[in-house]
Amino acid sequence: MDWVFLSELAINGALTGLLYSLFAIGLVLIYKASSVPNLAQGGLTMVGAYVVLALSHDAGLPLWVAIPLGAVIMFALGFGIERVALRRLAGRPVVMILMLTLGLDIFLRGTTLAIWGGTSRSMELGVSYEPLFVGDIFVSRIHLVGAAVTIAFFVAFMLFFRTRTGVKLRAIADDYMASWSVGISVERGVGLSWALASVVALGAGVIWGEIQGVDQSLSLLLLKGLTVAVLGGLDSILGAVIAGLILGIVENVGADFLDPLVGGGSRELIVAAVLILTVMIRPHGLFGRHDIERV
Amino acid sequence: MQEKVEAQPILSMNSVEVLYDNVMLAIKGVSIQVPKGEMIALLGSNGAGKSTTLKAISGLLKAERGRVSRGEIRFNGTDITEMLAQNRVELGICHVIEGRRVFEHLTPDENLTAAAPTGMSRSDLSGEKEKIYNYFPRLAERRNSLAGYLSGGEQQMLAIGRALVTQPSLLMLDEPSLGLAPFLVAEIFGILQKINKEEGMSVLLVEQNALAALEIVSEGYLIENGRVVMNGTAEALKSNSDIQEFYLGGGEGTDFHNVKHYSRRKRWLS
Repeated sequence: MDWVFLSELAINGALTGLLYSLFAIGLVLIYKASSVPNLAQGGLTMVGAYVVLALSHDAGLPLWVAIPLGAVIMFALGFGIERVALRRLAGRPVVMILMLTLGLDIFLRGTTLAIWGGTSRSMELGVSYEPLFVGDIFVSRIHLVGAAVTIAFFVAFMLFFRTRTGVKLRAIADDYMASWSVGISVERGVGLSWALASVVALGAGVIWGEIQGVDQSLSLLLLKGLTVAVLGGLDSILGAVIAGLILGIVENVGADFLDPLVGGGSRELIVAAVLILTVMIRPHGLFGRHDIERV
Repeated sequence: MQEKVEAQPILSMNSVEVLYDNVMLAIKGVSIQVPKGEMIALLGSNGAGKSTTLKAISGLLKAERGRVSRGEIRFNGTDITEMLAQNRVELGICHVIEGRRVFEHLTPDENLTAAAPTGMSRSDLSGEKEKIYNYFPRLAERRNSLAGYLSGGEQQMLAIGRALVTQPSLLMLDEPSLGLAPFLVAEIFGILQKINKEEGMSVLLVEQNALAALEIVSEGYLIENGRVVMNGTAEALKSNSDIQEFYLGGGEGTDFHNVKHYSRRKRWLS
């Protein structure tokens, strides 16, 4: 047993897992406010990456301008989605909202394909590809950067949910009717959660765009992101982070053991197994909220 | 001139009709006046239209696909019939909805924070909270546990406290006594009376528990089948024989063991 190799697998798995978490945090934000898993989060992530590309490569802005500006654009886009599409659906069955997010995903994919085409483009963040050795362990620098971004978002949201606006958002997640009754603008709260999720999507899009190139396949991150979100409990940001770590490690280490046996491709199987088993054994995930029942 | 202003009711509702889903007529021409600083009760049995009346006033109808199809609602003289619910809260109308509906996954303290108006300063909010904890000392003890685990009475107190944070001049309560032990009902009603006196807050109380309600209000309206069928001072209503029989639990001297009981049901002329 090669312990160095195993810990290298685990550490890099954990870093990749945190990148899944980054994606999943966006899902959690919207789930908390709208009670639907946002199937358009993959589309939003891709749009986020393309927006930064358009600002930096096409318009020639430096990255430190392009990324904040892109975040502002995504923030507005999130609010716009609530205003144009979701508001009409308030009070309708949740499955309708779910279908709306699916339609939105298809729409976003179609739009990016029409504007920017299907060829993969590179992000060129300027993070070095030189291997970084921590002791004997090889670590990818861009994954390290991505993990740091995830942690930053995580801390920011933990603090945010303690502010007055954050408390109001949590109240909205609890009970729409009661929120309306005390004058909380549910519409604005849902819009804000979409806006924040869109900014997170931009973060995920930039990092993942750097790792695997910016093209339509970015939207497929939805599958892993959703698995992480479900494992974490769908409405818990802490859950999303921890579940990401777990899935990343299990996937990376497990694939190394299984791939020689089945001849490759076991990563997807491991993700599928985690998703299915979570739903079967622990439907509210690791940190998901039970509905409180007093006895 | 001064007197005329004084005489204007804080809330007046004139022949209001409410339609749900554009087909179901839930209330049919309800007119209600709440004078400033008074406590008014809206009585009636299940499905009579009491809750719908409150929702028409607070603007929560929209969430249930209902709308005011006729009549008008005025608050301090302003027509609010079409106003958004959140703007009505800003004006000073707060509706404690039926079934308590506290934010279960928030602490009582956060429940109060959530209801704070956007412009309220931090020090005003903590002052407001202290005032509410003074009214409801039980809440103060449990301010940092999850609201979902409070007892029914405490949740009702929290729901009222949460409404008070919005600093309403008209507080509307939908069946605050529902499912609570009589001593708790007495405690909550006592606090309502105290708030009404100390803050001059007008109160519109919807109750099935007419006996308890008529003890604290000055005036009451009786609603049946979406219409106001009777209105008068609390004293007058208490002494009305029909009210006694149907809402206060039995007329005087009726022994149901000895009487061959014909199901007498009042048909209100409408």
